[in-house]
Amino acid sequence: MRKGILEYCILSIISRGEIYASDIISELKKAELLVVEGTLYPLLTRLKNNGLLSYNWKESTSGPPRKYYQITTLGREVLTKLDVTWKELLFAVEISLKERN
Amino acid sequence: MNKTIIININSIVFHIEEDAYETLRSYMIDIKKHFGNTAESKEILEDIENRIAEMFSEHIQSGRKEVLNIADVQEVIKRMGKVSDFQESEEYNDGFEEPVFPGNVSTPHTGRKLMRDPDDKIIGGVCSGLAHYFVMEPRWIRLLLVLFVLIGGSGILVYVILWIVMPEAETRADKMVMRGEVPNLENFKKSFDEEVNSFSDNFTGAGYHITRGARTAGAALGGCLGLIGKLIAWVMLLVSGSALVGLFIFYVFNLMNLFGMENPMMFPPLQVLSTDEAVIALTFGFLAITIPILALFLWLIRVLFKAEKLNNYISLTIFAAWIVSIVAVIYFCVSAAQDFREKSTINVERKIEVQKIYSFSEKDVRVLDENEKDSLKSRFNMEMDGLNLRKRLHSSIGIHFESIDSLSQPFIQYQYSAKGKSYQLAAQRAGEIFYQGIQEGEAIVFPSHFLLRNKSLDRDQFVKVIVYLPRGAKVLLDKTLDNKVRDISIWDCRNNYSEAERQKVTEWTMSDRGLVCSQAEPEPEPEQEQDTHGAVGKADQQQKVVDQQRKDSVINIEAPNVTIEMKDNSLRINTNTTQKENAS
Repeated sequence: MRKGILEYCILSIISRGEIYASDIISELKKAELLVVEGTLYPLLTRLKNNGLLSYNWKESTSGPPRKYYQITTLGREVLTKLDVTWKELLFAVEISLKERN
Repeated sequence: MNKTIIININSIVFHIEEDAYETLRSYMIDIKKHFGNTAESKEILEDIENRIAEMFSEHIQSGRKEVLNIADVQEVIKRMGKVSDFQESEEYNDGFEEPVFPGNVSTPHTGRKLMRDPDDKIIGGVCSGLAHYFVMEPRWIRLLLVLFVLIGGSGILVYVILWIVMPEAETRADKMVMRGEVPNLENFKKSFDEEVNSFSDNFTGAGYHITRGARTAGAALGGCLGLIGKLIAWVMLLVSGSALVGLFIFYVFNLMNLFGMENPMMFPPLQVLSTDEAVIALTFGFLAITIPILALFLWLIRVLFKAEKLNNYISLTIFAAWIVSIVAVIYFCVSAAQDFREKSTINVERKIEVQKIYSFSEKDVRVLDENEKDSLKSRFNMEMDGLNLRKRLHSSIGIHFESIDSLSQPFIQYQYSAKGKSYQLAAQRAGEIFYQGIQEGEAIVFPSHFLLRNKSLDRDQFVKVIVYLPRGAKVLLDKTLDNKVRDISIWDCRNNYSEAERQKVTEWTMSDRGLVCSQAEPEPEPEQEQDTHGAVGKADQQQKVVDQQRKDSVINIEAPNVTIEMKDNSLRINTNTTQKENAS
């Protein structure tokens, strides 16, 4: 399930504005969703290949130029859908947790 | 002292110690191996390399050094993650490979599949499956189905066929396709479901807190409602339990009845059916009523004791049995009602000898009287050939008296009637009624019951007896006939006799208007008389007192409204009361 959530979180983070991969990581680390950076790149690449993300190259003061990711319109559409799904899931979980008692 | 190697990552040059280089190299090779050689993986690798280069330059800048050592490399690897970490994350990405977030979402109906919905089912989820397919609410489909079941039961067949034909939507993917939803959401949900168990421990997102808050609120509310609910459930459990026991006892006793062990617990409508049919009808009726109560009972037990749910197949069988029972009960009701549709009457006329006096009486056929052996009544002593005499003896008999010309031959008309599915059957049943009076001289005796030959069923059999007697004939009616004679009242006539209680026979005369009671109504005793009697009683007491003193004198006693005049032994009493009343 984490993969779904991960994608959802990444999309949400990126939807806030242009962002660099390692900044995404630091956010995800806070949430303890993703600990190592390596796993992020495949995800980003895949999202980008699916047309949900795009990126720009930007010069960096320390080292090589960086890829800054931003969300596409399609990405936003998918994100709103995921918002709905997420709410549904939350509801489902709440109900099942309530019944566990 | 260490040997350093110069490497180039993304056109940036680094000095790196030899052992550090080896580590980095094997790491990169592992990563390459892992991602393979597609265009996509090339890009990923590029990204990773870029990032590594960036981290290295950070290290060099912050550490104010020129050479990267093994510690730096290990740190970078740690931040980047080992290949094993990638594999892990890759595993839960597996389902993602296929149609990930397809751009075109506007085709909600094309993917819809006809499948049974196990999440929203009453029997097999057929209705909800249909509802998903036709984008309707399941309840309308269910209503439709129930209608079809009621109209000839065709719904059951349709349901069973659909059940067989429609596959069950087992997996999440099936369900999404069934609902015609977009598979990317499906993936999302599916993965959620799959890992929801391992989820609660390490998930620290907002959802968890929200859930927890809602849960405590819900628990408080639920606890309050739960107590009342439990109480109601217990009461219902007791009620349904005792209803089950009661129904079972009722069933057993009725069965015993049908099999010949007579007891008072008999369900009257069953008598309409033949024994074989009645057993079946009773059983189905019992099931039809019991199963819903049983279901409620089991459900309550499940709720109250958290017991296991009944096996699906068992509950299904029970439900099917219920449906069948209901259909059967309806069938029996309809078929029994059909058997009352046509009515047939057979008229038979029997002449009776002319007599001056006709004496009618009744013989209770159930009484065997030794003394009557040679008498007329003994002819009705029946030959009983079975146990179920009660079922075959009927007492719906009505006797009427009509007048005919005084010189005509008197006769009795018997009208046997019965009902049946067809006129023919009704006529046949009417023909199976055996009932006839017997004349011997003046005496004409009617049996108290009629007998059905050939074990006929109870179909409103009725015998109407019309006695045609010449005008002026004298008729004696025994009081035993009271409950059979129609139009006239023997009881009223009997009351005309002075000693009504002991009067057995009433005398009647045939007139133009039918039978008339010969005994004139006793003239209502004048009130005066009664009143005087009372006054006498009163006066008597006063009299005695007076009497002792004087005997030969005329005494006037000043009682309120009474004047008593007494001379020697004769007594004359005048009361003013009645006069006054009459005057007023």
